[in-house]
Amino acid sequence: MHGTFLNHSRFRYLWVALAISVISIIAYIWHDPIPRPNGGTWLGYTLGTLGVVIILWLTWFGIRKRRYSSSFGTLKGWLSAHVYLGTSLIVITLLHTGFQMGWNIHSVALVLMLMVIFSGFFGVWAYLRFPEAITQNRQNATREAMLAEIAELNQQSLQLADQAGTKVHGRVTASIERTQIGGSFWRQLFPKDASAGAFLDVRKTLESMERKDSTIDTQNLPTMFVMVDALASQIGSKEQDALRKLVDVLSRKKSLTGSVSRDIQLKAMMDVWLYIHVPVTFALLAALIAHVVAVFFYW
Amino acid sequence: MRWLIRKVSRRRKGAVSIEDDTHFGEVLTIGRGADQAIFLSDLKVALNHATLSRLANGKYQLESLSPGGVRINGMIEQQATLAIGAKIEVAQTLISIVEPPRGVDAAVELSAIEGPTSQEKILSRAQATSLASTKLSKRRPAWIAFFATLLLCLLIPATSHFLPGIETVTRKLHLAGLTSWTSGAMAAPHQFFGQECRSCHAQAFVSTRNQECVSCHAETTAHADPVKFDMPILQDQSCADCHKDHNGPEALIRAEQRLCTDCHMNLPTRTQGRSRLATVTDFGAGHPQFQVSLAAWSAKGQFAPQRVPIDRKGLSENSGLKFPHDKHLVADLNSPSGRKQLQCSSCHALEPGGAKMLPVDFEPMCQECHQLNFDTKIPTRQVPHGKVAEVIFMLEGFYSKRALEGGWMDTTAPAVVRSRRRPGVDPALSSAQRTEALSWARSRSAQVATSLFEGRACVTCHTVSRTVDDTTGEPNWAIAPVRVAGVWFPKSQFTHRKHETMACAECHQAATSKTSNDVLMPPIENCRECHAGEESKTQVATACTSCHGFHLDGQAKMSALAGGQTLKSSFDTLLGKPK
Repeated sequence: MHGTFLNHSRFRYLWVALAISVISIIAYIWHDPIPRPNGGTWLGYTLGTLGVVIILWLTWFGIRKRRYSSSFGTLKGWLSAHVYLGTSLIVITLLHTGFQMGWNIHSVALVLMLMVIFSGFFGVWAYLRFPEAITQNRQNATREAMLAEIAELNQQSLQLADQAGTKVHGRVTASIERTQIGGSFWRQLFPKDASAGAFLDVRKTLESMERKDSTIDTQNLPTMFVMVDALASQIGSKEQDALRKLVDVLSRKKSLTGSVSRDIQLKAMMDVWLYIHVPVTFALLAALIAHVVAVFFYW
Repeated sequence: MRWLIRKVSRRRKGAVSIEDDTHFGEVLTIGRGADQAIFLSDLKVALNHATLSRLANGKYQLESLSPGGVRINGMIEQQATLAIGAKIEVAQTLISIVEPPRGVDAAVELSAIEGPTSQEKILSRAQATSLASTKLSKRRPAWIAFFATLLLCLLIPATSHFLPGIETVTRKLHLAGLTSWTSGAMAAPHQFFGQECRSCHAQAFVSTRNQECVSCHAETTAHADPVKFDMPILQDQSCADCHKDHNGPEALIRAEQRLCTDCHMNLPTRTQGRSRLATVTDFGAGHPQFQVSLAAWSAKGQFAPQRVPIDRKGLSENSGLKFPHDKHLVADLNSPSGRKQLQCSSCHALEPGGAKMLPVDFEPMCQECHQLNFDTKIPTRQVPHGKVAEVIFMLEGFYSKRALEGGWMDTTAPAVVRSRRRPGVDPALSSAQRTEALSWARSRSAQVATSLFEGRACVTCHTVSRTVDDTTGEPNWAIAPVRVAGVWFPKSQFTHRKHETMACAECHQAATSKTSNDVLMPPIENCRECHAGEESKTQVATACTSCHGFHLDGQAKMSALAGGQTLKSSFDTLLGKPK
């Protein structure tokens, strides 16, 4: 964890957040209001005001991070403070409530805030874990290079398949046709994993060979290279050579598409939490306005 | 069958060239083979890729011969029935089925797919490869969430405050309306109108005013005289300063000691001498000795009890009664019904409420032993336990009747009293006889009364003084007034029933009390054996309100004092500023 946003400036903002939390806890324990701790005591108002200020400042991060020319602190420093002060909000706001919850808009604001914070925790985890995984997965290549190679391999496999006969050509074109990389929101996060299907195909093919039945269900064969070995036993040696080369090409292609899918998936995992973090933050801002107005409306 | 195959190629600057070809046969073959009706040289195309045939009903049948299938209208199919207008994608070529012109049975139009094919899109940037390039955005949900939350949590409730009709609608729809603003559960007694926010929160941005409280709590009294103690800390408090609702069903009536002791510390200084109440900080550690209210009368004869500390030397109660508790609590007390042991409860019974004791009565409690009989000839006959005049009246009546009837065998009585007379047979008494008889009766009554009042009955318990009527010379008696302090501690609440687990003697030293002048009330030390202040962890934690109330009997009603409160005055209260 060398040089991450967590240990930025020797954990400066961790200490700031801890200090705020500890002072709040001590004040809460020392304060003994009548009838019980709640948001309406002087400490309750103080913690509430502190909470609002921190929330507004944390929200400002969304603007600050787009201001590339800003020199008011480094973006890494801002992120570090964003994470630690955001975490301290759990303590500040829970003490602000005096642990009074109910079916009301005040608790709605609290729940929305906790959703934002915990989605942020996922983001912290993703930012710490996935960049390394992405680098490992790419193995010094870029995504563009891998995509170019896939296109090249497609072309090669078609040529080889053409030499290996009509059936093989059909399988290869189907394979190319059905290769999916990226796609919808859901598909990026959960790419179709062909390995389980491939395993079933192997078994199915072997069983059909044992029954000397060469009619193979073409609908359910996304992985061609498994088929190729089975077919090689049924055709001539000239075609066999082409088939063996095809196996190598398809195997390489499968590994590449897997890597690209994984690359897209990892990148998506780093972004997906923001689809909760950001919209819920806006809901939180509205709930916070409602909370503050309601409190003074009927205070 | 005659097929028209039209190849459309687009040139530069929008120019289009059309090349028609005719094919005869039932089936239109598509593939990379040289024998195919539609020949496509692309390597992605199989030698025999697909066939297209026309069905009898005017539809077309496409069959893929390649396991990869054919993309028809964007979807990969192995076989499909098509109508005119269908688009078949084979590699880089788009085959559209078109309306056949005259003289042809069927027609297809071939054109090159410009830009990437569906498949190529997958491998290019056209296919979404990051979440940001999918249809789902963050901005639109963010604004929807913002405005939806604002509408539900703020706008609907706020407008329902001013337009109650909206609340009727939201309630019918089970929507979160004004009540979603509640900051916590209502106190139990307020729950029945807890849905009506406006009944307490009458004005927006003004904290709950006293006048809303006293619209129900009209009879609640103040704590102190508002004229004598016209102090901000008393008069400017709002009900809600102590009674904070929305904190659960039991949180409304506060018992915190410091709510009292904050002021009851140095009260004479704080009030510039208007209050002389002693400083109280804690029942266990800082509470003055109890004071009893002793019966006393003013110069004008009005009952004016005296407040006396219970530990004052020579404290003596002057109830006007003589009653040594010790003599009555001995074992084997002699009584007409045999030996018995009296208990405290023989005389002192709890009133139904359980707080105080019922008054001690002569007839049920004393008379069994202390009988008021007066003549040995009729030992069961007793004078009433009443006023002196009633006793004398009863005695005179009794003896007059005996004297006039005759037959009263008393050796000291004259003959007319002793002689028996048969009614209707013996002649009536003469005037002289009657005078003699009544004269005896009067003197006998006086004799018996003297014995009762001064000798053996009344004087046992009462202080009796004898007077003689100046004109008649007849004796009369006066019984000293009796005033037992019914309520010793009128400024506190004490419930005997709550202390039933204790023996009476643990608080009241009656068994050793030789005289009724002893005050048998316990001092504070006695209570402190069990009770201490509210902070106590080893004794019964006792707050001020365990014995004392805030709203005091006899004070002005809060409804007469309630004033309006503004945002500013509420702020001042919050910050502890005097207004």
